[in-house]
Amino acid sequence: MHIMEGFLPLQWAVFWWVLALPCLAFGVLQLKRILGQDREALPLLGVTGGFIFILSSLKLPSVTGSCSHPTGTGISSVCFGPWVTSVICAIVLLFQSLFLAHGGLSVLGANIISMGVVGPLAGWAIYRALRDTGVNMYFVVIFACAIADLCTYIVTSLELALAYPAEVGGFAGSFVLFMGIFAITQVPLAIVEGVVLALVFKYIVHLRPEILIRLKVFPEEKIRAAAGDA
Amino acid sequence: MWAKYRLEIIAVAAIVCFCGVFLYTSSLNADAEYAGSDTLGSSRAAELAGISEEDFQPLVPQWEPPSGEIESGLFALQAAVGGIIVGWVFGFWRGQKNRST
Repeated sequence: MHIMEGFLPLQWAVFWWVLALPCLAFGVLQLKRILGQDREALPLLGVTGGFIFILSSLKLPSVTGSCSHPTGTGISSVCFGPWVTSVICAIVLLFQSLFLAHGGLSVLGANIISMGVVGPLAGWAIYRALRDTGVNMYFVVIFACAIADLCTYIVTSLELALAYPAEVGGFAGSFVLFMGIFAITQVPLAIVEGVVLALVFKYIVHLRPEILIRLKVFPEEKIRAAAGDA
Repeated sequence: MWAKYRLEIIAVAAIVCFCGVFLYTSSLNADAEYAGSDTLGSSRAAELAGISEEDFQPLVPQWEPPSGEIESGLFALQAAVGGIIVGWVFGFWRGQKNRST
Protein backbone atom coordinates (compact mmCIF):
# COMPACT_ATOMS: atom_id res chain seq x y z
CA MET A 1 0.00 0.00 0.00
CA HIS A 2 3.01 2.28 0.01
CA ILE A 3 3.01 4.97 -2.59
CA MET A 4 6.70 5.41 -3.42
CA GLU A 5 8.51 8.68 -2.81
CA GLY A 6 8.15 11.02 -5.76
CA PHE A 7 5.12 9.22 -7.18
CA LEU A 8 2.63 11.83 -6.04
CA PRO A 9 2.71 15.30 -7.56
CA LEU A 10 3.40 18.01 -5.00
CA GLN A 11 -0.21 19.26 -4.77
CA TRP A 12 -1.53 15.78 -3.97
CA ALA A 13 1.26 15.09 -1.46
CA VAL A 14 0.38 18.33 0.33
CA PHE A 15 -3.36 17.59 0.12
CA TRP A 16 -3.02 14.21 1.88
CA TRP A 17 -0.65 15.67 4.48
CA VAL A 18 -3.21 18.36 5.28
CA LEU A 19 -5.85 15.67 5.80
CA ALA A 20 -3.53 13.45 7.84
CA LEU A 21 -2.22 16.01 10.32
CA PRO A 22 -5.49 16.75 12.19
CA CYS A 23 -6.15 12.99 12.43
CA LEU A 24 -2.75 12.51 14.04
CA ALA A 25 -3.22 15.44 16.40
CA PHE A 26 -6.59 14.06 17.48
CA GLY A 27 -5.04 10.61 17.91
CA VAL A 28 -2.28 11.93 20.16
CA LEU A 29 -4.83 13.73 22.35
CA GLN A 30 -6.97 10.61 22.60
CA LEU A 31 -3.95 8.47 23.40
CA LYS A 32 -3.00 10.82 26.23
CA ARG A 33 -6.51 10.72 27.63
CA ILE A 34 -6.82 6.91 27.48
CA LEU A 35 -3.42 6.31 29.07
CA GLY A 36 -4.07 9.00 31.68
CA GLN A 37 -7.29 7.31 32.74
CA ASP A 38 -6.04 3.75 32.79
CA ARG A 39 -2.37 2.75 32.94
CA GLU A 40 -3.40 -0.85 32.28
CA ALA A 41 -4.28 0.19 28.75
CA LEU A 42 -0.58 0.60 27.97
CA PRO A 43 0.21 -3.14 27.69
CA LEU A 44 -2.85 -3.57 25.46
CA LEU A 45 -1.62 -0.74 23.28
CA GLY A 46 1.75 -2.55 23.15
CA VAL A 47 0.16 -5.76 21.89
CA THR A 48 -2.08 -4.14 19.28
CA GLY A 49 0.70 -1.80 18.14
CA GLY A 50 3.19 -4.68 18.13
CA PHE A 51 1.04 -6.56 15.66
CA ILE A 52 1.02 -3.57 13.32
CA PHE A 53 4.85 -3.67 13.42
CA ILE A 54 4.93 -7.43 12.78
CA LEU A 55 2.23 -7.79 10.14
CA SER A 56 3.17 -4.73 8.11
CA SER A 57 6.69 -6.12 7.67
CA LEU A 58 5.52 -9.45 6.24
CA LYS A 59 5.32 -9.46 2.48
CA LEU A 60 3.18 -12.38 1.43
CA PRO A 61 2.64 -13.85 -2.04
CA SER A 62 -0.85 -13.78 -3.44
CA VAL A 63 -2.90 -15.36 -6.20
CA THR A 64 -2.12 -12.54 -8.62
CA GLY A 65 1.57 -13.51 -8.77
CA SER A 66 2.63 -10.47 -6.80
CA CYS A 67 3.36 -9.82 -3.13
CA SER A 68 1.75 -7.55 -0.63
CA HIS A 69 1.63 -7.11 3.10
CA PRO A 70 -1.17 -7.13 5.66
CA THR A 71 -1.65 -4.02 7.79
CA GLY A 72 -2.51 -5.37 11.25
CA THR A 73 -4.50 -2.25 12.05
CA GLY A 74 -7.92 -3.79 12.70
CA ILE A 75 -7.38 -5.04 16.24
CA SER A 76 -5.96 -1.71 17.39
CA SER A 77 -8.92 0.04 15.83
CA VAL A 78 -11.37 -2.26 17.63
CA CYS A 79 -9.66 -1.73 21.01
CA PHE A 80 -8.72 1.95 20.80
CA GLY A 81 -10.54 3.41 17.81
CA PRO A 82 -9.15 4.63 14.50
CA TRP A 83 -7.36 7.79 15.66
CA VAL A 84 -5.00 6.11 18.12
CA THR A 85 -4.31 3.56 15.38
CA SER A 86 -3.33 6.44 13.06
CA VAL A 87 -0.59 7.46 15.48
CA ILE A 88 0.92 3.95 15.64
CA CYS A 89 0.71 3.63 11.86
CA ALA A 90 2.45 6.96 11.45
CA ILE A 91 5.37 5.64 13.52
CA VAL A 92 5.63 2.43 11.46
CA LEU A 93 5.32 4.32 8.17
CA LEU A 94 7.92 6.87 9.25
CA PHE A 95 10.37 4.05 10.06
CA GLN A 96 9.71 2.50 6.66
CA SER A 97 10.14 5.85 4.87
CA LEU A 98 13.41 6.66 6.59
CA PHE A 99 15.15 3.29 6.57
CA LEU A 100 13.48 1.04 4.02
CA ALA A 101 12.67 3.39 1.13
CA HIS A 102 9.09 2.13 1.36
CA GLY A 103 7.03 5.24 0.99
CA GLY A 104 8.73 8.56 1.64
CA LEU A 105 8.40 11.78 3.53
CA SER A 106 6.39 13.66 0.90
CA VAL A 107 3.96 10.75 0.37
CA LEU A 108 3.81 9.89 4.08
CA GLY A 109 0.58 11.88 4.44
CA ALA A 110 -1.10 9.82 1.71
CA ASN A 111 0.16 6.57 3.22
CA ILE A 112 -1.04 7.59 6.69
CA ILE A 113 -4.47 8.34 5.25
CA SER A 114 -4.76 4.91 3.61
CA MET A 115 -3.21 2.66 6.26
CA GLY A 116 -3.73 4.76 9.36
CA VAL A 117 -7.00 6.60 8.85
CA VAL A 118 -9.47 5.27 6.29
CA GLY A 119 -8.62 1.56 6.71
CA PRO A 120 -8.96 1.62 10.51
CA LEU A 121 -12.02 3.88 10.24
CA ALA A 122 -13.76 1.39 7.93
CA GLY A 123 -12.89 -1.53 10.23
CA TRP A 124 -14.09 0.45 13.22
CA ALA A 125 -17.38 1.29 11.49
CA ILE A 126 -18.05 -2.42 10.85
CA TYR A 127 -17.16 -3.21 14.46
CA ARG A 128 -19.41 -0.47 15.84
CA ALA A 129 -22.30 -1.59 13.67
CA LEU A 130 -22.01 -5.19 14.90
CA ARG A 131 -20.76 -4.70 18.47
CA ASP A 132 -24.11 -4.70 20.24
CA THR A 133 -25.77 -7.25 17.98
CA GLY A 134 -25.93 -11.00 18.54
CA VAL A 135 -23.08 -11.63 16.07
CA ASN A 136 -20.22 -13.66 17.52
CA MET A 137 -17.55 -11.38 19.00
CA TYR A 138 -14.65 -13.09 17.21
CA PHE A 139 -16.47 -12.94 13.92
CA VAL A 140 -16.87 -9.19 14.37
CA VAL A 141 -13.09 -8.91 14.90
CA ILE A 142 -12.33 -11.05 11.82
CA PHE A 143 -14.65 -8.94 9.72
CA ALA A 144 -13.37 -5.59 11.05
CA CYS A 145 -9.70 -6.56 10.55
CA ALA A 146 -10.25 -7.88 7.02
CA ILE A 147 -12.16 -4.75 6.01
CA ALA A 148 -9.52 -2.45 7.55
CA ASP A 149 -6.85 -4.25 5.53
CA LEU A 150 -8.80 -4.24 2.27
CA CYS A 151 -9.93 -0.62 2.55
CA THR A 152 -6.33 0.49 3.04
CA TYR A 153 -5.50 -0.87 -0.40
CA ILE A 154 -8.66 0.53 -1.96
CA VAL A 155 -7.67 3.97 -0.71
CA THR A 156 -4.14 3.57 -2.09
CA SER A 157 -5.72 2.80 -5.48
CA LEU A 158 -7.93 5.86 -5.10
CA GLU A 159 -4.99 8.13 -4.22
CA LEU A 160 -2.98 6.97 -7.24
CA ALA A 161 -6.01 7.14 -9.54
CA LEU A 162 -6.70 10.74 -8.49
CA ALA A 163 -3.12 11.69 -9.28
CA TYR A 164 -2.96 9.67 -12.52
CA PRO A 165 -6.32 9.67 -14.32
CA ALA A 166 -6.20 7.52 -17.46
CA GLU A 167 -6.36 9.26 -20.83
CA VAL A 168 -9.26 7.02 -21.78
CA GLY A 169 -11.70 6.53 -18.92
CA GLY A 170 -10.23 9.22 -16.67
CA PHE A 171 -10.23 8.71 -12.94
CA ALA A 172 -12.57 5.69 -13.00
CA GLY A 173 -10.46 3.95 -15.63
CA SER A 174 -7.24 4.21 -13.69
CA PHE A 175 -9.01 3.41 -10.39
CA VAL A 176 -10.01 0.04 -11.90
CA LEU A 177 -6.41 -0.53 -13.05
CA PHE A 178 -4.96 0.24 -9.61
CA MET A 179 -7.64 -1.81 -7.86
CA GLY A 180 -6.52 -4.75 -10.02
CA ILE A 181 -2.99 -4.37 -8.66
CA PHE A 182 -3.71 -3.55 -5.04
CA ALA A 183 -7.14 -4.75 -3.97
CA ILE A 184 -7.40 -8.16 -5.67
CA THR A 185 -3.96 -9.19 -4.41
CA GLN A 186 -5.10 -8.22 -0.96
CA VAL A 187 -8.29 -10.31 -0.66
CA PRO A 188 -6.71 -13.60 0.53
CA LEU A 189 -4.27 -11.71 2.77
CA ALA A 190 -7.11 -9.77 4.37
CA ILE A 191 -9.00 -12.95 5.23
CA VAL A 192 -5.98 -14.63 6.82
CA GLU A 193 -5.11 -11.44 8.68
CA GLY A 194 -8.66 -11.24 10.07
CA VAL A 195 -8.56 -14.80 11.39
CA VAL A 196 -5.10 -14.45 12.92
CA LEU A 197 -5.95 -11.18 14.67
CA ALA A 198 -9.19 -12.67 16.00
CA LEU A 199 -7.05 -15.40 17.56
CA VAL A 200 -4.89 -12.73 19.18
CA PHE A 201 -8.05 -11.07 20.45
CA LYS A 202 -9.18 -14.37 21.95
CA TYR A 203 -5.95 -14.63 23.97
CA ILE A 204 -6.36 -11.06 25.20
CA VAL A 205 -9.93 -11.88 26.27
CA HIS A 206 -8.71 -14.92 28.19
CA LEU A 207 -5.76 -13.24 29.89
CA ARG A 208 -7.00 -9.72 30.58
CA PRO A 209 -10.78 -9.40 30.10
CA GLU A 210 -10.94 -6.55 32.67
CA ILE A 211 -9.11 -4.11 30.38
CA LEU A 212 -11.46 -4.83 27.49
CA ILE A 213 -14.44 -4.38 29.79
CA ARG A 214 -13.12 -1.06 31.13
CA LEU A 215 -12.45 0.21 27.62
CA LYS A 216 -15.98 -1.01 26.71
CA VAL A 217 -14.64 -2.85 23.68
CA PHE A 218 -17.58 -5.28 23.79
CA PRO A 219 -20.56 -5.54 26.19
CA GLU A 220 -19.38 -6.90 29.53
CA GLU A 221 -21.52 -10.05 29.48
CA LYS A 222 -20.13 -11.05 26.05
CA ILE A 223 -16.53 -10.69 27.24
CA ARG A 224 -17.20 -12.49 30.53
CA ALA A 225 -18.93 -15.36 28.72
CA ALA A 226 -16.02 -15.69 26.26
CA ALA A 227 -13.40 -15.48 29.03
CA GLY A 228 -15.23 -18.19 30.98
CA ASP A 229 -14.92 -20.62 28.07
CA ALA A 230 -11.30 -21.40 28.71
CA MET B 1 -12.19 -29.87 21.55
CA TRP B 2 -14.08 -28.09 18.73
CA ALA B 3 -15.82 -25.67 21.08
CA LYS B 4 -12.64 -24.73 22.92
CA TYR B 5 -10.21 -24.52 20.01
CA ARG B 6 -12.62 -23.48 17.26
CA LEU B 7 -10.75 -20.29 16.42
CA GLU B 8 -7.34 -21.99 16.50
CA ILE B 9 -8.57 -24.67 14.09
CA ILE B 10 -10.03 -22.05 11.75
CA ALA B 11 -6.78 -20.04 11.88
CA VAL B 12 -4.61 -23.08 11.06
CA ALA B 13 -7.02 -24.07 8.28
CA ALA B 14 -6.90 -20.55 6.81
CA ILE B 15 -3.09 -20.50 6.86
CA VAL B 16 -2.83 -23.98 5.33
CA CYS B 17 -5.33 -22.96 2.61
CA PHE B 18 -3.34 -19.79 1.96
CA CYS B 19 -0.11 -21.79 1.53
CA GLY B 20 -1.90 -24.39 -0.60
CA VAL B 21 -3.36 -21.74 -2.90
CA PHE B 22 0.07 -20.13 -3.21
CA LEU B 23 1.79 -23.43 -4.12
CA TYR B 24 -0.97 -24.29 -6.58
CA THR B 25 -1.12 -20.90 -8.35
CA SER B 26 2.66 -20.52 -8.44
CA SER B 27 2.99 -23.96 -10.05
CA LEU B 28 0.41 -23.00 -12.70
CA ASN B 29 2.05 -19.70 -13.47
CA ALA B 30 5.78 -20.30 -13.74
CA ASP B 31 6.60 -16.77 -14.97
CA ALA B 32 5.02 -14.97 -12.04
CA GLU B 33 7.71 -12.79 -10.50
CA TYR B 34 6.04 -12.15 -7.16
CA ALA B 35 7.14 -8.53 -7.21
CA GLY B 36 5.71 -6.19 -4.59
CA SER B 37 2.35 -4.62 -5.38
CA ASP B 38 3.93 -1.26 -4.47
CA THR B 39 6.43 -1.70 -7.32
CA LEU B 40 3.69 -2.76 -9.75
CA GLY B 41 1.59 0.23 -8.70
CA SER B 42 4.52 2.56 -9.35
CA SER B 43 5.12 1.14 -12.84
CA ARG B 44 1.44 1.52 -13.63
CA ALA B 45 1.56 5.14 -12.45
CA ALA B 46 4.56 5.72 -14.70
CA GLU B 47 2.68 4.22 -17.66
CA LEU B 48 -0.33 6.43 -17.02
CA ALA B 49 1.84 9.51 -16.65
CA GLY B 50 3.63 8.60 -19.86
CA ILE B 51 7.14 8.96 -18.45
CA SER B 52 9.63 6.30 -17.46
CA GLU B 53 9.91 5.18 -13.87
CA GLU B 54 13.48 6.45 -13.53
CA ASP B 55 12.28 9.97 -14.27
CA PHE B 56 10.29 10.13 -11.07
CA GLN B 57 12.40 12.18 -8.69
CA PRO B 58 11.90 12.06 -4.92
CA LEU B 59 10.37 15.31 -3.68
CA VAL B 60 12.24 14.85 -0.42
CA PRO B 61 15.74 13.31 -0.61
CA GLN B 62 15.59 9.73 0.57
CA TRP B 63 18.06 7.17 1.88
CA GLU B 64 17.74 3.78 0.28
CA PRO B 65 19.06 0.55 1.74
CA PRO B 66 22.14 -0.21 -0.41
CA SER B 67 21.07 -3.82 -1.00
CA GLY B 68 18.17 -6.23 -0.64
CA GLU B 69 20.08 -7.91 2.19
CA ILE B 70 20.16 -4.74 4.24
CA GLU B 71 16.52 -4.03 3.44
CA SER B 72 15.38 -7.48 4.57
CA GLY B 73 17.49 -7.10 7.71
CA LEU B 74 15.72 -3.87 8.57
CA PHE B 75 12.33 -5.48 7.91
CA ALA B 76 13.27 -8.32 10.22
CA LEU B 77 14.26 -5.71 12.82
CA GLN B 78 10.83 -4.09 12.51
CA ALA B 79 9.08 -7.43 13.00
CA ALA B 80 11.38 -8.31 15.89
CA VAL B 81 10.57 -5.07 17.73
CA GLY B 82 6.86 -5.87 17.41
CA GLY B 83 7.41 -9.48 18.44
CA ILE B 84 9.39 -8.55 21.53
CA ILE B 85 6.69 -6.13 22.71
CA VAL B 86 3.88 -8.62 22.06
CA GLY B 87 5.73 -11.47 23.80
CA TRP B 88 6.67 -9.28 26.74
CA VAL B 89 3.08 -8.14 27.34
CA PHE B 90 1.54 -11.61 27.03
CA GLY B 91 4.15 -12.93 29.48
CA PHE B 92 3.43 -10.04 31.84
CA TRP B 93 -0.34 -10.72 31.71
CA ARG B 94 0.17 -14.43 32.25
CA GLY B 95 2.32 -13.74 35.27
CA GLN B 96 -0.30 -11.38 36.70
CA LYS B 97 -3.02 -13.94 36.11
CA ASN B 98 -1.10 -16.80 37.73
CA ARG B 99 -0.33 -14.73 40.79
CA SER B 100 -3.93 -13.68 41.29
CA THR B 101 -5.37 -17.22 41.04
